Parts: sequence; structure tokens; C-alpha cells
Amino acid sequence: MTSHWCDFQNADVILHCGSNSAENHPVSAKWLNRAHERGAKWIVVDPRYTRTAELADIYCPIRSGTDIAFYGGLCNYIIEHDLWQHDYVLNYTNASYLLDPDYGFDPATGLYSGFDADSATYSNRSWHYQVESESHWDTAPGGAYAWAAAPGVPAFTPPTVEHPKRDMTLADPLCVWQQFKKHYSRYDLDTVCAICGMDKETLELVYATYAASGAPDKSGTILYALGQTQHTYGAQNTRAMCIVQLLLGNIGMAGGGVNALRGEPNVQGATDMGMMVNEHPAYLKWPNTTDRKSLRDWMESQTYADGYYTNKPKFLVSSLKEWWGEHATADNDYGYDWWPKVHAGGLADTIIPSFEMMEQGKIRGYFNWGMNPANSAPNTANVRQCMSNLDWLVVVDQVATESATFWKAPDMDPASIDTTVFLLPCALIFEKPGLILNSGRWIQYRHQAVEPWDEAKPDYEICDLLWREIRALYEAEGGANPAPVLNAKWDYYVDGKIDPRPVAWALNGYRVDGTDFARAEVDLCSGYGELAADGSTACAMWIYTGFWANSEAPLDPEKQACCRRGHEDPSGLGLYSNWSFSWPSNRRILYNRASADPAGRPWSADKVLVEWTGEAWKTFDQPDFVAAQGGVPVPPNDNAFFMLWEQNARLESYAMEDGPLPEHYEPFESPTDVNPLNGAFSSPCIRFADYPSTKRGTNEEYPIAATTYSVVEHWQTGGQTRMCPALIEAMPTQFIELSPELAAEKGIKAGDKVRVWNNRGSAVVDCVITHRFKPMTVNGKLTHLVGMTHHFGWAGVYATSESMVNDLTPNVGDPNTQVPEYKAFLVDIEKA
Amino acid sequence: MAEKAILFDTSQCSGCKGCQAACKCWNDLPSPTALNADAPSFTGTYQNPPDLSGVTRLVMTFSEEQGGPKGIKWAFGRRSCQHCGDAPCATICPAGAIFVDEATGLVTTDAARCIGCRFCASACPFDVPRYAGDRGVINKCTGCVDRVANGLAPACVTTCQPGALSFGDRDEMVARAEERAAVLRERGYADAVAYGADEVGGLHVIQVLKYGAAAHGQRPDPAVNPAVQLTQVMKPVTGAVTGLTVAGLAAMFALGAGYKRDRRAYNPATGDTLDVDTREVIKHGDGQDTESVKEHILENLPRRKGGDHE
Amino acid sequence: MTLSRRGFFKATGAALAATMAYEVTAASPALAVEASGDWKLVNTEEYTNICCYCAGGCGSLCSVRDGELVNLEGDPDHPINEGGLCPKGAAMLQLRNVVDPATGAVSKNADRVTKPLVRRPGAADWEPISWHDAIKEIARKVKETRDATFVEVEDGLTVNRCEGIASLGGSQQNSEEEYLILKMMRSLGLVAIDNQARV
Repeated sequence: MTSHWCDFQNADVILHCGSNSAENHPVSAKWLNRAHERGAKWIVVDPRYTRTAELADIYCPIRSGTDIAFYGGLCNYIIEHDLWQHDYVLNYTNASYLLDPDYGFDPATGLYSGFDADSATYSNRSWHYQVESESHWDTAPGGAYAWAAAPGVPAFTPPTVEHPKRDMTLADPLCVWQQFKKHYSRYDLDTVCAICGMDKETLELVYATYAASGAPDKSGTILYALGQTQHTYGAQNTRAMCIVQLLLGNIGMAGGGVNALRGEPNVQGATDMGMMVNEHPAYLKWPNTTDRKSLRDWMESQTYADGYYTNKPKFLVSSLKEWWGEHATADNDYGYDWWPKVHAGGLADTIIPSFEMMEQGKIRGYFNWGMNPANSAPNTANVRQCMSNLDWLVVVDQVATESATFWKAPDMDPASIDTTVFLLPCALIFEKPGLILNSGRWIQYRHQAVEPWDEAKPDYEICDLLWREIRALYEAEGGANPAPVLNAKWDYYVDGKIDPRPVAWALNGYRVDGTDFARAEVDLCSGYGELAADGSTACAMWIYTGFWANSEAPLDPEKQACCRRGHEDPSGLGLYSNWSFSWPSNRRILYNRASADPAGRPWSADKVLVEWTGEAWKTFDQPDFVAAQGGVPVPPNDNAFFMLWEQNARLESYAMEDGPLPEHYEPFESPTDVNPLNGAFSSPCIRFADYPSTKRGTNEEYPIAATTYSVVEHWQTGGQTRMCPALIEAMPTQFIELSPELAAEKGIKAGDKVRVWNNRGSAVVDCVITHRFKPMTVNGKLTHLVGMTHHFGWAGVYATSESMVNDLTPNVGDPNTQVPEYKAFLVDIEKA
Repeated sequence: MAEKAILFDTSQCSGCKGCQAACKCWNDLPSPTALNADAPSFTGTYQNPPDLSGVTRLVMTFSEEQGGPKGIKWAFGRRSCQHCGDAPCATICPAGAIFVDEATGLVTTDAARCIGCRFCASACPFDVPRYAGDRGVINKCTGCVDRVANGLAPACVTTCQPGALSFGDRDEMVARAEERAAVLRERGYADAVAYGADEVGGLHVIQVLKYGAAAHGQRPDPAVNPAVQLTQVMKPVTGAVTGLTVAGLAAMFALGAGYKRDRRAYNPATGDTLDVDTREVIKHGDGQDTESVKEHILENLPRRKGGDHE
Repeated sequence: MTLSRRGFFKATGAALAATMAYEVTAASPALAVEASGDWKLVNTEEYTNICCYCAGGCGSLCSVRDGELVNLEGDPDHPINEGGLCPKGAAMLQLRNVVDPATGAVSKNADRVTKPLVRRPGAADWEPISWHDAIKEIARKVKETRDATFVEVEDGLTVNRCEGIASLGGSQQNSEEEYLILKMMRSLGLVAIDNQARV
């Protein structure tokens, strides 16, 4: 989230698209209701009428998987009606930047310039800006970048600053604005309605209502979740929202923003931690075999020429220093080569292809830490088969999940499965202490209330037991390059016992001199500005620095920023800056510079986050820009997005794999045969579609468009909620929701079981027949939509189901994120 | 303490059932934990469990109707005790197991006193009290008077994330409900009403019903069974002499207000409970010996008016 | 670390009559009664925690008496949820303890696994294993698989990659645990690391 939960109350317009937050993020309803009470307009765009829709003012149906058409139409509407916020767009975005003369998009093919059909990838060369002039870092002593040439700093050639050519009149046909306008001019109301399936009157009402947030003093918030991301163009969906918010000047405003409502308790923390193939903690990239082959390569390919990410070398060296401790030296590139290098692109090792590698016998051992892919991964019928090729599986969980018991699935034969499976019981959240981040980036602390039961242990203890044993084996016996195993610093002990508090020091960062973990003496850093690239500081997670910075009491969480419980709110906007700590730097609303005009005057007098007084910046929130340098206030400028090298936000972006502007493509499995907007039909960059296991279905065989979602009473694969009798009682089963029209057509009555199937699998579920799903007309054809919940499986004690809804979902992925497509696919149904 | 009330504003309710779960947990009420084969049955709607029961004091109801500006009116409702001002359950209860909490006006229970006669269930204009057969007692919302006495709101109110439930002085809740209903009517919900100010002597659950009373599962004009009023006459009589409670009980059988096979008799003086059919003392009060208790109660048990079930 | 925000819980001073409402009467279901008149939270200590479901970050208050959790509800001081919890959050106590419908007794949740288990090749069911043996066996398997599938140099480039092991998960753990998991896995050379953020 660019803002945080309490900030929803400041919105003037609320748009839910791809989110059902009243159900799946129930606390959101508190803050949304408050905005609503103050007169905010509330719009829900969703394939079915949800519990959130009941709270809203306007409900607009949409066919699942057509969000870009919806947002493209909104962009077009905003431009046509001149509702965009001119000063914001002109000054804070790249609208005025001139694009490469080779830049282009051909609606006939649906392709942007630079496509290579053989590899189904783009070269983004032509998506870059024209360069006006170049400048270079001053690394001489006393220069702004003197640190880059200091002793101990890894040698690298600093990047060249390319100043883009701009046309502030926005008239040049090659400027981003003109290209943008042209691109979305095709997205007229009729076309959008034909694709998305809503009626024109409702769509216009939605567009007019939301676009009203383009008034400079108004803010609109877009709330999204998996309904936007779990598509083969999920990242472009997200881009589309960002673009709309930039057009309307809603990013950086209180009550605005692009708000990803994250679905797991610490998924924000896990994302920050970079627990993904290609990622490194704190939004740096993991070493690979192409542009990050060496520490020098990393520095040169990753360091931005301008903006705050010019500091990346400091963050990476500090990370290496914390990882390898005394073994990390300037001479050995701080141990960079001990880190494994991911395969080019990093695609081959994400969750979907990992099962293919099990199938091929390449992946033989598997750890599942509180995750249950045999229930939650797409195409679980395939997942079970692939997992049965494993030599061993370790599941750390509090229940025997479907993954732990994949060999017991109704369609599996245990006798023929040779996998050794270990189930290690873990502590519950209130049975251990530790840090957790919410979707608003607040770092909060969990106090341990009770001891774990029986022999259950916290994950940190399980991890430590395993690590010490593995390390002992390598110490005693040697083996494949033992160096990384033996050199990793692992000194997170207090009184001889593994303890999360020293790990908190590592995450926060500390000065190497003056720190001795063994004696609990730590010279903690109070801000990431203190981090250095010369090995003098160590920090695993630069964005967190400051959350645990009290060196006087490093063992006492109560005396750290993350445990603060202050309610002060001088802004009146619910920032609660003295409650816990939000990264980075306790900033509550990201990009808050954009809440004021180029002269530093707040767009809205009621929503003041930062304000230039003429002499200095008056701030209610931590400024997300350079407000002062060396103690001297920096007067207002246009650098409102200083985490990008342009320091302006991108309407057009060269950084996406599948195109510089979001373009509508049909889902991998689509109920329609036409794409009125371009000749590509589905995304030309779709990933994993060629796996035999994917088994694409056609709408002739499977005419019904299906989607999946959660209910408030259950959560994910049900491992936790199916343990809780009150929740089973409140929602005892998984079900399909369908319209009375479709039910009549199929002879299905209330109380019947329904069989849902496609090429990949079949599931028998209960049914809810409801007018909250309506048949829609898509490109002239009557189309039925159904939705299914997915919280049940064969494992567990209290409530189980032999059917796995994710047997039906396709294992295809987004080219940017490899996120699977759970939200739009094809099925047929019958009375079971 | 001033008279209190729970305010339920359906227009702020997200139907999340947090209240339902919190009620279960605070009150240590069980839910089925049977294996899958015996798992609770699904209603085919979001309303689960389908109704109140011996172990369920609060159920969120869901009713759907086509129409309105959004095409659908999905009315969320709260099915639980309304804490009537003239609470017929308390009036009719022969055992003092249901009574009005003086501090708040909430109609609360003392399950230890319940004799399982289930007259309250018959008398309730909202069909709320349910018999917990295995425990031999009636089950209904207590208003969490224990929490209220300790400075907390009822569990359902505390947990309500969207702010649909609030708790406070009854006058204020009534005023807020009226105000809110008016706002909703202005916003196009023509049928929005405030509910509970005057019904059954004035309820202590005040509701804002966005789509009107019936849509949210509320009785537009709740009425008390006249038989209950007759029991008012009995009260002074039964209350006058220790042990005569049971006589009153029998009289009520005759009135037909409620006749249950496995009924219990209760002696408010000793706290003992006796099974009317088997004549066994099934629960001791303050330690009297079984025989004397039995005698004490049985001698007051009329033989002909239903006390002896034949 | 104990936060006694509301001292009056202890100050009420009433004797502890029934630890769990049904426990005292568990032997005789027909006699089951509420622990009427006894304040449920008497003599409890409160610990603040954060909910384990969506990323709302709602605060919870765990009331503990004699080392056992007797109540869990929203933290009224928490600025995000202001004491509220959704049904899942409100039922978090049941992850540990549930009420038996037959006896009314509060008991450990039977669905939870609290001792290590192993399933041997071809076996149709679990068997118990000690922590000691489980850790020994897993470490051995990790080493064998790593040694067999490790690529130290590829096309002249040091890659230090363990190709035969994958690790999935992290969004359920606390951040310190995420770091330890990540550090262990990457130091072993894993590249197939993913978590719930991907799906």
C-alpha cells in the first residue's frame, strides 16, 4: 500500500476493483465506512455482487480478467472530458518526456515495438526516452558522490545521468502524453462495455464518479487485491491503476494511493525480505548469471543514476556484511560470490515451474514453511503428481496440510510414492515473540502470551536446529563447496539460545565497530542514511533501519520504535506516527511530496502532509523527498518520485516485460472469441502456457467463465480456519455461486451438489444460487460467469472435502511476476 | 448506570459474522467438531448456522431481493435477543433464570437457575431462547452483562470491525438510530427505519434497518402472547411461598404457554433442580440432602394439572 | 513484556471459581452451568499480539491466567482495529483450545499437530519421530541432495547453486524467522525460493 489502513477515511471517492475488502480485509470496512459517512462516493467493480458491494453506492459488474479494458476506458474518459490534473501530470510524471522514434504499438498485431516472436519477449530499447544531455557523478573528494570512490567501496563505474528530452507543451507526437492519448483513444465506452460485459449507463456513472477525484483538492483511493494480480497480465493491471491515479493526481495524497490489500499476515514482510527467486531483501535484486554476475556488475546494472537509489551500493554491501560477518571483506567482494546466482531471468525457479522440475527429477527435496501448495497452487492435480517424485519433503506447520499429506489424497496410491515426509509442528502466533508487517508497512511486535503446546516450536528454533545440524555435517565431512555454509554469520543467540532479538538488530543495521552480538552490545543505526558501502556498517534490510535503534536497550523490544503505542495525531488525518514504525523512515504515506503543488502548497487545505512555508518544509509525515540537505531546507522542485531515477512517475514505463502501456488481452482461457482492441487476442508474453500439464480448454468445450475467491469466514487453504469450529459452523463448505438463469439451464436446484470440471480436473462442491451473479453480454454473446471458494481439502480433522477447487485453475503466469491465473478460466458444470 | 442498548446499523454491516464468532468465543459456546461426515450442513446461503440453537446465541441473517439502484438488495440481519423492555421471557420464567439486569435493562440469564421448562421460548415474540438439551438449560444472549459490569461492551459490539454495532446509553442509541435512518432515507433508501424504540416495551437492541424491518428479518409489529400476561397474575402467588414456584409452573402448563416433556422443577430457596418426570434431584443447590429437597419440592407439586405427566 | 493496561482486571479481586466455564461440570453434562458471577478475566495478564490472517495488522489482546490463554479479543488501543476483530480473528483462540460440544469442556484443539511426524516411503500413514531424529535425518537428506545437485561453476562463472532443493513459504512467519529461513536456504545455494507473495 502506498498509504495505510486508517488513511481510507480521508478518501473522497473509493474504488474497489479486484478486491472484496469488506470480506477479505475486514478491518478496511471500518475506515471505508468512515469515509462514506463523510460523504465519500463508493464504487465496487466486481464480477459478482459482494458483501463489499452491499456497503457501496455503486455496483458495476465486470467480466473477470478484463480490468485493463475497464481502466483503459477510464483513462480515455478522463482525457476526453479533460478531468486529469494538469499541474500534477505535467510536473510529476513523465508525460512530457519524448520517446524513442522507434517506439510504437500496432493494434492490428497487438504488439509493441521490439517483440521477438521466437522467445515471446520484448526488447525494451525503443521504449526509452530521448536524451537531451548527459552528466556524471562527481566522485572527487568533497563531491556529491565522493563516497563511491572511498576506500573499501567496491570498484564500479558510476552510471551516467541521462537527462530526458521534454516538451512541456505536451504537443510533440513522440511525447509520452501524445502516445498515451493515442493508445487509449481506442478504449471508447461501447468497446469497453462489449468486452467487460457491463451496461453503458453504469460504466459512465462509474467513470464520472471516479474521475471527479481529479479535482486537485480531492482524493480517490483504489483498493485492489488478488482480483487484479492473479492474471496473466496482473502486473499490467496494477500499472493501469497507477496510471489512473497519476492522471487524477491521487498518489501521495491523504485518502489516495494505489493500495494493494495484502492477504497474508506477514506477506509484506516476506516481500520486503525478498523471499523470491530473483529478489534480495529490501527490493534489491539477487545475483544472477547475466547482469549481476559479479559485485561490480551488480553495482553498475542496479545503481540508479539519480534519485535515492544512487545509494544502492551502500545497501548491498551492508547486506553482505551482515550475511557473512567477518568473512566479508573488500578483497573478496564482501562474499558476493558465495551467494548462489539465479538462472538468467529467474523465471525457471518460481512456484509454477518448480513443479515441472520435480516432475523431471531436478528438484528432489522440498521445504514448505507454513505454505500449502498442494491446495493453493494452480492445477493441484498436477502438483500432487509432481510432488510424488520428491525424495523428501519437510512441512513446517501447525496442522497436517494437504501438502504434508499429498500422498493420502483421494486419487493417490501411497504404496507407489517413495517420498519421505517430515511434519514439524510449529508454534502459534501467540506462542512466540516477533515482528510482523501489515499492508501499510507498519512493523509491529507480537508478544508471546503462552508457551507452545507439547513439542511444537517456533519456526526460528526449528530453523536454528536444522542449520546447526547441517553446518555440523559440513564441518565434519566437507562436501560440495562448504564455504557458504561455513561462512554464513549465524550468531543470533541470547544466553546461548536462539533468539529473534539479535535478528532484529541484523534487520535494523548496526555499525560493525562497537558491535558484539555475543555480549549483546550493538551500535544500532538510527536511519538508513548512516549505511555505508565500505564495510563499516552491516544491515540486512535497509528500508527497516530505525525500527529497532535503541542501542541502550537492544534486548528490550518495549524500548524500540516498533513497540511504540502513542496515539498522537497532529495531522488529524490518522497518521499515528507514534504508533509502531512504518518503513521507510516511519513514513506513513508514500510519495507525499505529490500532496502539494510544485510550489509546495498543499493541493487540499484539509489534507496537509507537507507544506513549504517559504523558508522550510512543515511536515506532518516523514517527507518522501529531499526536504533538507546538510540541515539546509531544499526549496520545492519537481522531484516528487525520488525512488525513480527520473524522479517523476511513469505513465509510460520501459521496465515492464510485456509492454510500456497496459493493453487489453483476453485471459488464457476466455469465453469470447474476439478481442475488439487488438489482433493479439491473449497476451503475447504469457508464461508456462506450453506445459503439457496446463491443458488449455476452449470455450466450445467449456463455455462458462469461472473465477475463484475467498469468504470472510475462511482463509486461504483453510489450514487454520478449518481448525476453528466457530468458523466451520459459520461457513461449513466450499461452494460455487451461480445465477438462477444458469442454474435453471443446468437443472440445478438449491441444495444440490454441483460438479465443475475442465481439462485439468473436476470438483464437486455445494452451490449458492444467487442473483448476485448475472449472465452478461460479452462481444454480443450471452456469457455465464460462476465463482468458487477454495478453502477446503482432504486434510484436517473437522471439515474436509475430497474436491480441490484448484485442480481447475490453470498453471500459467504473468511475464513480470509469474503470478498464476486463478481469476479467469473456463469450466462446465452439471448437477452432481 | 443508565439504561443501555446495543445499536445495530445494518447500513454499516458487512455481514462478516465477527459478532457471531466473538459471541461463541467469549461465552465458551461450542460449535460442531464432528468429522466431515457429520459436519454442519450448509444452508445454500451465507447464513450459517441457519438459526439460533442451544449453543448459538447470535446468527447473522442474509436475505436477498432484486431491485434498488444496485440491482440487488442484500439485507444483513441480526438474529439474537432484543432485550425487550417488557421481557415476556423474564416475566414467565418461574425460576428466576431469566431476569432484567437492573443496572442496564438488559435481559440476562443465570443458567444455573434454569429448570429447562422452556416457557421463555414459547413466550418470546422473537423466537429467541433455545433449549440446550444436553445441558438441560435455555440458551440466549445474556447481553454480556459481565463485560458491561467490568467496563467493556458486549463481545459482539467490541469485535465489530465495520462499526455497525455500538453500545451505550439507550437514549443516545435511539437518537442515533433515528438520525441515521433519516440520513439513509435521504440517500435513497426509502424504506430505512429505526427499530426498537417502542416495540415490546422498548427494546435494548436498537436497529437501523436499511431496507425496512421485514427485509432484515425483523417482525414489523412484534406482539407478546397474551398467555404471558396471565402469568403475571401467578407471579405474586408463586413468589409468596417457597416452593410454590412449581405450582405456578403447573398453572402455566394448563395455560398452554409451554408444555415440555423433560421439564425440570426448581426451588429458588435451595437452588435445587428436580426432574419432574423421574422425581430425581439432578442438581443440588446449597447442600441440603437429597431426600429433604425432594420432599420439599414434591409436596408442592400438584398432581393433576400436568405436574404428573400421564 | 506483560502489558497490564487495565489494572482493574486484577483489582476486582474476586476468587477464581472456575478456570473454564464448563470444566467444573464436565463429568456431568446435564449439570453443565455457566460460571455465573465469576468474571472471566479475573487475575489475567494481557499480552498484545497481531492477528494471523490478512495483512490488516489488527492488534489483539491475549488474556492469560496460570499460563493458559483464557480469552483473545481485539486490542482496544490499537489505532487500526480499535478493539475489533473479524470472525477469523475473533476465533483465534480456537487455534489452541476448543469447546467440546459433547462435554462442554475446553480442551486442546485436536486438529493441531504438536509432535513431529514422519511418513516413510510407501507408507500409508504417519509415524511418530523425535525432534532429535527428525533434525538428524532432514539434515542428512539436505546434505545428500545438495552435494548431488550442487553447481559451483557454470560456463566459467562461479554460481554456487543448489539445484535440487526448493523452499516455499514465509508470509506466515515473523520477520526474524523469514530472515533465518532465507539465510539458511540461500547459504545452501537455493535459487528455487518462493513464498505466498507470488500467488
